[in-house]
Amino acid sequence: MNGMLAAVVFVPMACGPVSYVIGRKSKKGRDAFVLAVTILEMLLTLLIMKAGEISLSIPGFAGLGIGFASGHFRTVMAFLTASGWLASTLLSREYFAHVKRRNRYYVFWLLTLGAVMGVFLSVDLYTTFIFFEIMSFTSYVAVVQTEEEDALKASVTYLAVAVIGGLVTLSGIFVLYHTLGTLNISELAHAAEAMEDKSILWVCGLLILVGFGAKAGAFPLHIWLPTAHPAAPAPASAVLSGVITKTGIYGVAVLSTTLFLHDAQWGQMLAVFGAITMVLGAALAVCSVDLKRTLACSSVSQIGFVVVGISMQCLLGHHNALAVEGTILHIMNHSLIKMVLFPCAGVIHLSTHSYDLNDIRGFGRGKPLLAVIMGIPMLSLAGLPFLNGYVSKTLLHESIVEYIHIAGEQAWLYSVLEWMFLFAGGLTFAYMLKLFCCIFVEKNEHPHWKTGKYIARTSAVVLLLYVAIMPVLGALPHETMEGVSAFARSFFHGEAPAHAVHYFAWINLKGAVISLTIGALVYLLVVRRLLIRKDRYIDPIPKWCSIEYGIYRPLIDLLSKTFQLIAGCLDRGVLLLIDLLAKAIQLIAVCLDQVIFRILFHEIPAAAARGCGRLKTQIVQMIVSLTGREYTPRPSLEEIPYDYHFAKYEDDPVPEEGIWQSFGFGLMLAGLGLVFALAFIILHK
Amino acid sequence: MSPIMLVLPILCPLIGGLIVLRLHAQTVRRFAVVGIMVAQLASLIPTLLHDIPTLTLLTLTESVRIVLQADAVSRLFAVLISLIWLFVAIFAFEYMTHEKNRERFFSFYLITLSALIGVCFSGNLITLYMFYEMMTLCSFPLVLHTGTKKAVAAAWRYLTYSVAGAALGLLGWFVLQGYCSTDLFTAGGMLDTAAAMENRELLLGVFLVMIIGFGCKAGMFPLHAWLPIAHPEAPAPASAVLSGLITKMGILAIIRVTYFIFGWEFLIGTWAQTAVLVLALTTIFMGSTLALRENILKKRLAYSTVSQVSYVIFGLMLMDATAMEGALFQAIFHALAKNTLFMAAGALIFKTHKTLVSDLRGVGRVYGITMWCFTLSSLSLVGIPPTGGFAAKWMLAQGAMESGVGTLGYVGIGILMLSALLTAGYLLSIVTNGFFPGADFQAEGIFEKKTTPLMWIALCSLTVAALVLGMFPDIVRPAVQAVVNSLF
Repeated sequence: MNGMLAAVVFVPMACGPVSYVIGRKSKKGRDAFVLAVTILEMLLTLLIMKAGEISLSIPGFAGLGIGFASGHFRTVMAFLTASGWLASTLLSREYFAHVKRRNRYYVFWLLTLGAVMGVFLSVDLYTTFIFFEIMSFTSYVAVVQTEEEDALKASVTYLAVAVIGGLVTLSGIFVLYHTLGTLNISELAHAAEAMEDKSILWVCGLLILVGFGAKAGAFPLHIWLPTAHPAAPAPASAVLSGVITKTGIYGVAVLSTTLFLHDAQWGQMLAVFGAITMVLGAALAVCSVDLKRTLACSSVSQIGFVVVGISMQCLLGHHNALAVEGTILHIMNHSLIKMVLFPCAGVIHLSTHSYDLNDIRGFGRGKPLLAVIMGIPMLSLAGLPFLNGYVSKTLLHESIVEYIHIAGEQAWLYSVLEWMFLFAGGLTFAYMLKLFCCIFVEKNEHPHWKTGKYIARTSAVVLLLYVAIMPVLGALPHETMEGVSAFARSFFHGEAPAHAVHYFAWINLKGAVISLTIGALVYLLVVRRLLIRKDRYIDPIPKWCSIEYGIYRPLIDLLSKTFQLIAGCLDRGVLLLIDLLAKAIQLIAVCLDQVIFRILFHEIPAAAARGCGRLKTQIVQMIVSLTGREYTPRPSLEEIPYDYHFAKYEDDPVPEEGIWQSFGFGLMLAGLGLVFALAFIILHK
Repeated sequence: MSPIMLVLPILCPLIGGLIVLRLHAQTVRRFAVVGIMVAQLASLIPTLLHDIPTLTLLTLTESVRIVLQADAVSRLFAVLISLIWLFVAIFAFEYMTHEKNRERFFSFYLITLSALIGVCFSGNLITLYMFYEMMTLCSFPLVLHTGTKKAVAAAWRYLTYSVAGAALGLLGWFVLQGYCSTDLFTAGGMLDTAAAMENRELLLGVFLVMIIGFGCKAGMFPLHAWLPIAHPEAPAPASAVLSGLITKMGILAIIRVTYFIFGWEFLIGTWAQTAVLVLALTTIFMGSTLALRENILKKRLAYSTVSQVSYVIFGLMLMDATAMEGALFQAIFHALAKNTLFMAAGALIFKTHKTLVSDLRGVGRVYGITMWCFTLSSLSLVGIPPTGGFAAKWMLAQGAMESGVGTLGYVGIGILMLSALLTAGYLLSIVTNGFFPGADFQAEGIFEKKTTPLMWIALCSLTVAALVLGMFPDIVRPAVQAVVNSLF
């Protein structure tokens, strides 16, 4: 049974390349194969669910060894993943009917599925990280799939965020492992508690948070979401938003429930980031004129809600029942809702070839089916009562209210948070209203799409199934959703709620009413008045005004320039120095070789010769000054008669002068030697 | 087991290389080269299985001996080199069809192998120096193979740097001789402790000089400049082994100097250790940064080598068991990945005749296998799990924190991470450009398909090895651990 855990991770990964091989032979066969794998994955997940808590470890894998476990939150996430993938695969058939390079797409589609499963089922942070990285790289292909200019641009951002985030997280995990000696999620809390000095844990926590936060799409690292989601094919956006961002949330949740279990400071920090994320994302969504970009920004905003939920469960400590429940359910709801909305955007794109609100306005007129499929999730996300989104938002809201009561002096801060929460909820309603009115209410003067069939039957059935779940969950929260949260909450160390929540009591409905009112006002006053000019939707935010293009890219540019300057100096400098050294050595060698020899054998003898000449003249001068007259050897005036034979004996051998000379020289030396020897003997005594 | 077994793996490629010089028929030559290398591998087996006594080949004077020995370090490096050398040879068969004078190339290729194995099995520094110089001289013709003016200039640069570096090493040995109790490499150091402690400062200076000298082959700052000059000019198989394996001989020499001559206990906590660590970190940073802006593909890979091999030096200099293990893993995985990368670069040059990174847009569309190998090896070099680089980096980082170097360890981790990021920048940009050139890109007319089965065999084998060993590092762990256990 434990092998099931390995199967659920590795089977799709192994099937990825197989699908490529099949795809080269037959496209239909490949589609069937991929579908079969996702169905198999679903079955495996159900089996794991049935098996309860099981675990499996593979020692030695990638060094430390990896481990998987199921049960509780992990199983819920695995189920969401498997169902999301199954649905998206079904939807892909229609969406990808006329797309190139599907083979490549499906390989990475299956690889990503296995990796995401690996993240959610991981039993230690080492495993989490390994599969998190694999997922980052394999899902990259989904972003870049279309290879259009926007996609290429978005993919660079996506990859940069993934690599940088991954490396920062890895550094955190390094230090954490060194500090605590374990990465096992179930042992971390205990080990962290034993630490006296928490500062090092904070360092680790913050480093690890960067990577996971970036993947989740939390401010200020949300930059990849608004570009990557629109660039990816719709079914891929659905899982990117519905499932893959949740892997980041999973990481944040692990940190918040182990290292910083019930740590108020950590909770405060998360609350700040969560609040900014949820308002900023919603504000961006309201301004956006691109259907998918709106949905992507909406994802950012909803992630903010979830992060606020996680922060609340930290802050509330042992009274975290509502916060935990709200967090789990909002993760689930957001996943369900985005799994419908992104494919719907895809459906619209298939007919209109555009995501621009100005092009697609009025597309939905006379299409009640699409109106139902899109309308219900939109309203659910906006938090309309009797839909599932309302339930989780109410729980999150209640948890904030609960904390206001016990926050003491800081209560006003959390009142601000509560109002931000309600405001962000209002904005959610506003942008959903904007989308809905644009697509289903307004008229388009020049519709450029074909009338007739706009959605395949399979797609419609799948989407309707998803949509049908929402009111059921929303209307019967006690029977359905609370069961899920009760099943999953032990992962968060969640307590059982002290008393049942009355979702449809006025006190809880009030929040929704406030939110929806704010939303309606924003739509009427801001969207209709300010964001529509000359009957066209406009995006008031200038292009340069983004964190990515305003701060990150210039900063990275500057850093890389500086680095290159330093490295270039080092490289060139050393090369120059070595070359100089070589030149210097050459110079010395030349000196030795030429100059010194010249001096020794040419210059010095010449100088000596010159000196001798001068000495000679001086001697002559001395003689002159001593004798008073110039010395000139007087030549004989007599003539010497020339006689060749004079005093010469032709037959006598001419004695060689050399011998005599050397003999004399030898004698002289011997004499000198004797003198020295004598002197030595005398002096030595 | 007779100690003569130590000579066989050295002699086998040496004699084989001389024979290959006279083999002019292509098929015969190919079979001969593979045969010789397989025979060499086979002759290695006894040295792995049995403890073989030290073999003195030649005694010039009491203190100058040529000695061979086989310990854990020798075995690890000898096997690594011989295996990869074989695959690169298979790659070279196809690659060299574009070049002249193939007999000469393969002949020197084999002789260089024998020099490398000699370095591995050296029992003392004199022997090591001898084989080290032999390696430089025999790989010299590999670098200038094409015979262009630039190639010759690059080869001279390579030769002067290498000889100068080795000379610094030898210089150190001249000073050291007086302080050693033996001339054989001894685990834990061979210094005469009492004498050494008196002149500690001098000896630390000598250590630094020797490391800088031998660090030249490993591409360590400040003597790294030969790498980016020699690599682009050499034929791809030569750059592959230069970058992946010959640099590892620098590493081996550094291991010998640090752990077998001085002994880590003598060095730990000294200024010399800090100095080398700083040099290694400087190199890591500098290499990665320069690679990022380099447009010539092979030069970019050369700078990458400069940076990556210094990871190993960093790990070695931490003088900690875990770090040492990480360093050796890094040496293995870098050898695998960098050989693959250079071979892939060579395959691309072979097929497209393009040498610039900017010209490689869309290559993935046509040369799928080559680019896949390139991609996976790049990921290994960056250190993305579950490839090999990740396991190595994990151990290096843990070692950096465990060892007693304090802040420098954390700075080191920071620089490793920064370098990983830069590595991703300079390698993955090639990958993404290659595979995702944009929807408007048309491969027809720019690249033509070519079937190169031998290249694919070599590329795929090394890539699969890097992947499998990354996922299951326990396969090679015993060999690595044998080294570590013998030292700590």
